[in-house]
Amino acid sequence: MNRRTFWWFTIPSVIVMLALMVFPLITTIWLGFQKLLLRDLNNPEWVGWDNYRDVLSDPEFWAALRFTLVFVVVTVPVSMVFGLAVALLLDRVGRGRAIYMAALLLPFIVTPVVGTLIYEDLFERGGLISWLWEVFTDDAFAVSASNVKVLIVVQYIWYVMPFAMITFFAGLQTLPEERVEAAALDGAGFWRNLWHVTLPHLRLLVVFVGLISVMDAYRVYDSVFVWTGNRFTEAHTLAVYNVRIATAFDIGRLGKGNAIAVITVIGIFVVLIPFLWRSYRDQIAERT
Amino acid sequence: MQLSRPSIRPSRIALHAVMILLVVWSVTPFVWTAQTSIKFTRDVASKTPVLWGYETTANAYRNFWLDSDDLNMWGVLAFILVVAAVATALGLIGRRARHGWPWFLGATAVICVALWRFPRIWEANDEYDFLVNSVVVTILTMVISLSIGLLAGYGLARYTGISGAVILIVALGFRALPRTAFVLPYFFGAKEIDDWLTSTGVGSWNFPLIDFPGIDTLQILDTRLAIVLALVAVNQPFTIWMLRSFFIEVPKEMEEAAMMDGATRLQAFRKVIIPIMWPAIIATGLFTMLLAYNEYLFVRVLAPTEWTLPVAIVSLTGGESSRTITEAAAASVSITLPIVIVIILFQKHLVRGLGAGAVKG
Repeated sequence: MNRRTFWWFTIPSVIVMLALMVFPLITTIWLGFQKLLLRDLNNPEWVGWDNYRDVLSDPEFWAALRFTLVFVVVTVPVSMVFGLAVALLLDRVGRGRAIYMAALLLPFIVTPVVGTLIYEDLFERGGLISWLWEVFTDDAFAVSASNVKVLIVVQYIWYVMPFAMITFFAGLQTLPEERVEAAALDGAGFWRNLWHVTLPHLRLLVVFVGLISVMDAYRVYDSVFVWTGNRFTEAHTLAVYNVRIATAFDIGRLGKGNAIAVITVIGIFVVLIPFLWRSYRDQIAERT
Repeated sequence: MQLSRPSIRPSRIALHAVMILLVVWSVTPFVWTAQTSIKFTRDVASKTPVLWGYETTANAYRNFWLDSDDLNMWGVLAFILVVAAVATALGLIGRRARHGWPWFLGATAVICVALWRFPRIWEANDEYDFLVNSVVVTILTMVISLSIGLLAGYGLARYTGISGAVILIVALGFRALPRTAFVLPYFFGAKEIDDWLTSTGVGSWNFPLIDFPGIDTLQILDTRLAIVLALVAVNQPFTIWMLRSFFIEVPKEMEEAAMMDGATRLQAFRKVIIPIMWPAIIATGLFTMLLAYNEYLFVRVLAPTEWTLPVAIVSLTGGESSRTITEAAAASVSITLPIVIVIILFQKHLVRGLGAGAVKG
């Protein structure tokens, strides 16, 4: 395909991405240097690095950053290992596999805010789990500042595990039977088989799921917002903190909000640049 | 000698026991909510959960969707079941047919007609408009996103120049960006454009034909268009990566043969490539559908009144009374069921899509 034809095919998509991703991103950076209030959008005022100083000296920002990092470090590996285990089990199931899979996929396809709401219902007064808690411990259970972070993490793993599961399961379907049988003839047990045959086969998928999971966990908004609202602001992640600062009723600070967004973007790119660079090299290698 | 997969070999029963435990972990909240949605308030409010033997009611559904206090809900249920059955049947046929699109179009048409007729048979609440918004936003996002994504995915799969690699990597980077990096400038930009439209007087022009119902002036903020544009944009990187990985699997000789016979590149693309891309289109479409139907943040910020269902449901939960608890449960069940039906119908495509799309990516 020559260059001209390529651009004819690609230009609509490129225009959309330029107009609605590149340009807004530049606007974000520009707005980060403005003093701009939600109730007075018509008078942006250039204030240089003030917003950044404001953000970096805000203890709530550091609390949000810390919780976001903990959130990523806990949920990503746990959901991936959990997902792989379930995928291996699912791969063994003969009859009834489709039904199991549909049931296990449910948390992932349901609207995230709705999934969080119904999960939270179990822990509210009169909910199933809070009732069980009372039966076994004789204490009343309440969602509180001290346990909400754990609940957020557990619920997120509940929500995101099916993604790892279904991707690894899809990968297992392409694993050639002969490789497994050859390993079995050599007397490989379950763990050696997993380590030397299955995981190498899934290597690219592990990287893919890991990347996507890190991206999504780092920017998590919906579920954390539903759990915390304005009750438990200390359990806010970066995205929730960001939106709260920018859109708080009457005191929304759009300038500071954009500064936080820029810092968030820099944060994910610090992690991502090596991967992007490697993918770029792969792409170039593919072409020559 | 009989060969089998080496393993610790859990017995079949143990395997199924573990699977059932996992299913319990997954679906307990759904079962609980489904129960809550059909209970009377007194059973929901009781301190010890009433797990079975309770009296059931459709009150919560009626209160959430309809503008009436005493209406037999069996008629409504029958209507919904008939529509769902017809649409599902058409979807099933389309899934097996060589050319799926007429059947999928038919299913969509049936749903649209039903959505249009429903409030003329029963008096519906505001929430009904949010359902319509959800459907419109989802369908438009899927159509636009897939149209431009298919073209770009094909171009990127076939072109070997450096600019293709650059576009792919930049798109991958954009996939990582948080919604917050876009939603504030979208809001600010839409506001600026609306102000400009008002100041030039263009904003007060009336376009009865292209206007969305309920909006008299030309504007961007608080329209479904704003939500669709935002969703198409943030979905583009994923769409082109996934479709590209499917196009790479298609041998070049396919379209080259057609072009030898005198077809242009675009004709070859439409007549030869697209017909065999149905599994890819369905898989990518499913993910796009999930993204659009489930979106919360963009809708909340860009559309203060033109909500979709997720925002409507979250707004219900501010209150603490048991009445809103049952209503929120009914709303949750209502928003979940359509998507569950679609995913069950196309589960295989979802798995295959992730397998094919991911191994390359």
